[in-house]
Amino acid sequence: MSSAVGLSDLRREIEHHLPTSDWRFQGVVRLTRVGTAFVLFTIVIGFAAINTGNNSLYIGLAFMLGALLLSGVASQRGLRGLRVEFDSLYEAWAGRPATGRLRVANRSRIWNVRDVILTSDELAEPFFIPLIERRREIVIEASFFFARRGIVQLKTVDLYTRYPFGFFLKKRRVRISGEVVVYPRLLTDEAGRERFRAIEGEQHSVNRTGAGTEIHSFRDYVRGDSLRQVYWKKSASLGRWIMKQTELESGRAVHVVVDPFKPRGVPDDEFETMISQAATFIRDTLDRELEVIFSMPRLTLRARDQQQAAAMYRALALVEPSYEAVVQTIDRNAVLFAMRASDAA
Amino acid sequence: MRREKKQELELLLLTMFAAVPLYGTQTVSIAPLLIFHAVMIAIAIRIAMGKGADVIPASVMRALGIAYVAFYAIDAAVISRSAIAASTHLVLFIAAYQPIEAMHKRNDAQRLLTTALLFIASLATATHISIVPFVIVFMFFLFRQLIHISHTDSVATGDLARRSGIIEPPSARAAGFYVTGTTLIGVLLFPMLPRVRNPLVPGMAEALNNASTGLSDSIDFNKDRSISSDATVVSRVWMGQEAIPFFTPLRLRGMVYERFFANQWLQGRRDFVPLDIRDGATRIARPSGVTQRATIQQRLVSGNRLFLPTGSYEVIGPSIYEGPTRDIYSIWNRRDLVSYDVRLARSTIPFRQRPPVLANYPVTPAVTALARQIVGTETDAMRQAVLIERFMSNTFTYLPDPAAIGRPISVDEFLLKERRGHCEYFAAGMVALMTALNTPARIVGGFYGGQLNPLTGYFVVRRADAHAWVEAWNGDRWETFDPTPAGLRPGNGSSGFQAYASALSDSVNYFWDRYILTFGLGDQIALVADAIGRIRNALTRADIGAHRGVRDFLTLRSAATAAVSVLFIVVVIAIARRRRTAFDLLRDHLRSLGIEVGQATTMEDALRELRRHHSDAATSLQPIITLYEEERFSARSTPSRTAIRKRLQELRA
Repeated sequence: MSSAVGLSDLRREIEHHLPTSDWRFQGVVRLTRVGTAFVLFTIVIGFAAINTGNNSLYIGLAFMLGALLLSGVASQRGLRGLRVEFDSLYEAWAGRPATGRLRVANRSRIWNVRDVILTSDELAEPFFIPLIERRREIVIEASFFFARRGIVQLKTVDLYTRYPFGFFLKKRRVRISGEVVVYPRLLTDEAGRERFRAIEGEQHSVNRTGAGTEIHSFRDYVRGDSLRQVYWKKSASLGRWIMKQTELESGRAVHVVVDPFKPRGVPDDEFETMISQAATFIRDTLDRELEVIFSMPRLTLRARDQQQAAAMYRALALVEPSYEAVVQTIDRNAVLFAMRASDAA
Repeated sequence: MRREKKQELELLLLTMFAAVPLYGTQTVSIAPLLIFHAVMIAIAIRIAMGKGADVIPASVMRALGIAYVAFYAIDAAVISRSAIAASTHLVLFIAAYQPIEAMHKRNDAQRLLTTALLFIASLATATHISIVPFVIVFMFFLFRQLIHISHTDSVATGDLARRSGIIEPPSARAAGFYVTGTTLIGVLLFPMLPRVRNPLVPGMAEALNNASTGLSDSIDFNKDRSISSDATVVSRVWMGQEAIPFFTPLRLRGMVYERFFANQWLQGRRDFVPLDIRDGATRIARPSGVTQRATIQQRLVSGNRLFLPTGSYEVIGPSIYEGPTRDIYSIWNRRDLVSYDVRLARSTIPFRQRPPVLANYPVTPAVTALARQIVGTETDAMRQAVLIERFMSNTFTYLPDPAAIGRPISVDEFLLKERRGHCEYFAAGMVALMTALNTPARIVGGFYGGQLNPLTGYFVVRRADAHAWVEAWNGDRWETFDPTPAGLRPGNGSSGFQAYASALSDSVNYFWDRYILTFGLGDQIALVADAIGRIRNALTRADIGAHRGVRDFLTLRSAATAAVSVLFIVVVIAIARRRRTAFDLLRDHLRSLGIEVGQATTMEDALRELRRHHSDAATSLQPIITLYEEERFSARSTPSRTAIRKRLQELRA
């Protein structure tokens, strides 16, 4: 299979989506250009005041220091009063922006907070909040961006503000708790999808094993089989575990099998691409209003629409490469997604 | 990048406003200020009409900018002859150039900096109380502009403007809030900022540019003299009510004229002689008789001379020098206002007994005859001086306007023919008569009288109080005589409502001058010392009060106060307890059951822990925790805190 999304492509895509971060910084405060000019100006005035003993200059100096102090306190106290909670996120696919909701509350009794920029590694772009009045809460719909599939823990959000005078860019890192299961990256390569497109009318209603109710045949147990498929009566009589295979019920069903075995030497990118291809295939199939029966070791799922397919995408999001081969029963008509030893670099 | 029209206009007006006080401070001449404001108004009108700011084409302004570099040097060296004035011109030019430049690139932060420079130039040279509202108004609009720039920068960060499309104007309310806050902080900071002068820049300050008093470096009888009534305050002297009978009328002496040349009285020439300062005070003479401390706030109207009250024998505070003439003192200072204390004595004796030489006035026989005629057979020099003083005061006519004579007259003409004139003639005439009697005498210039301000208890001395009198040598020291008729001397003008209104007005000015303009290191030390003293007194009183407290507590009033206080505390505690969250209530209950609920522990975890130790208690608590969880995590608006409290009370019961 072609590696449609290599690491370099991934990096390029992340860089494309993430905002320019030249204004971000480590620490809690940074002087802006305006602030630097103001501080230097204050120092000059302070020197002039001390040098000349001119109390008019001292008045100016006292006001300037007052402005600096108040500016620092206002932005610091304003940010300190902010609380951010992760509310919800509908569906997150790796490499695609996803809309989520955050609750931002200003618990300060004094300070209205203006011009807050909210950023996070998981946010697709900084979110600008013009005003949060004191003791108010707002819900914002922000765009998230996740580079990889899997479980992502949302831990922190950075809040930046220049308010009130733009002398300082103040930052506060706020802890949030949230967990998002990021579905695999969907391929955009049309050609790749065409290769796996199910063809209508191709499905067989008889003589096919699948997730049905009628027994199709029996076979010996292999590692990875679900205990639900054990045919206990026959197993007891024969003294070994016998698995029943059911007949596929629907003629419009496509059986998708994902084998998580990753031979040694195969790059991680190849595995990720395979998972992405599986997810893309399932999605396309469902879009064509076909039913999907999805099999992985110890897991068989069935879905008729995208909503029901969430469990499949979740499984694909969480699947880890297996370094030992797992035997699975594969129907001859099933679409198999697996790594071959020849994929090894 | 073009700013919004409203913001642009506001910034232009702010820049113009910052330069307004320069009209009154004489830092720069009027012409460049008028040109600056004319250009800025033209720019503002163009912008208000929706046109560009280029009232002068940008290319022309750029060329002018390059040319100004060379012009600056010419301006400083030839035209203004002052680096400060030339620099102010430069800043005015930049302030007019920047709005035109703003058409091509965003420069609002630089423009605010230029505006702030103009503001500081205005502030540094202004001493009037009106600068306070000026500063507050300037700050308000400066903050509005800064909030706007900050907002624009924030929106521009990461190209948020394109994404969010949110641009809100800065709030006037916010600017008002920050101006109030800044003013409060400024008022607190102002007295605390260190008043330590830079030792690298000592030197004698120049006189005020516009100083014009009735005093001058010489008394020239060859020219017409005209004295205008100038109400500008020169000095304020605060000596306390009890000292007034001993040290008034007030005489502030700052000039000594002891050489006569070509019908002019000149000051003696002498260099500046530094005087030793010990324990913060400089002794200039030995005291004799009653002494008193006085506080003086003085405007330096004649170089750096101090106008010390007669009888001053010690100056407390600043370092002073004797000079530029004998028995006259000056101060190192670059400001035009100084505050210091002096110690006064009824009379003072010089440290060094140096008998002065006789004045070089060319005494004519007629003048000698007049002197002899006045003193008669009296041989004592001081008694002779008293006789002459009385004679002149009673028989000569005082003219408040010297021009009334119609022509310049000599001292001899004054004594022998006219017998009328202003105070300088009286003083010069007496010196001539004393010289004729071989007694050293000299003319002293300064200020006389002043008015007692009934509101603040100080004497306010104005330029109109300028006066000249006489000092005669009695063999040990100089004695003061004043031949000018007492009722016609300065300082006896206004009375009644006018005087009261004047006193009220001056009280406001006094506060401004004393606590703002002349606030210094000495005041800061005094402030700290005062605070320490108050704390010490309070502690002493508290110690004494502790013994008295037990006895006082038994009174009905104290008991009632204590009961009300306890009741108040109980109510506050009860309210605080009722305001506790459901989490706090449950945590306390669990704690009483031996389960510690930390910050990261959920109620579910705590319940699980409780179940492990006290399963019965857990069973009975579970519904309450379920209620809490519902309240905590459901969208239900009715708070169940009260219900939880009630259920917990039932559980405890």
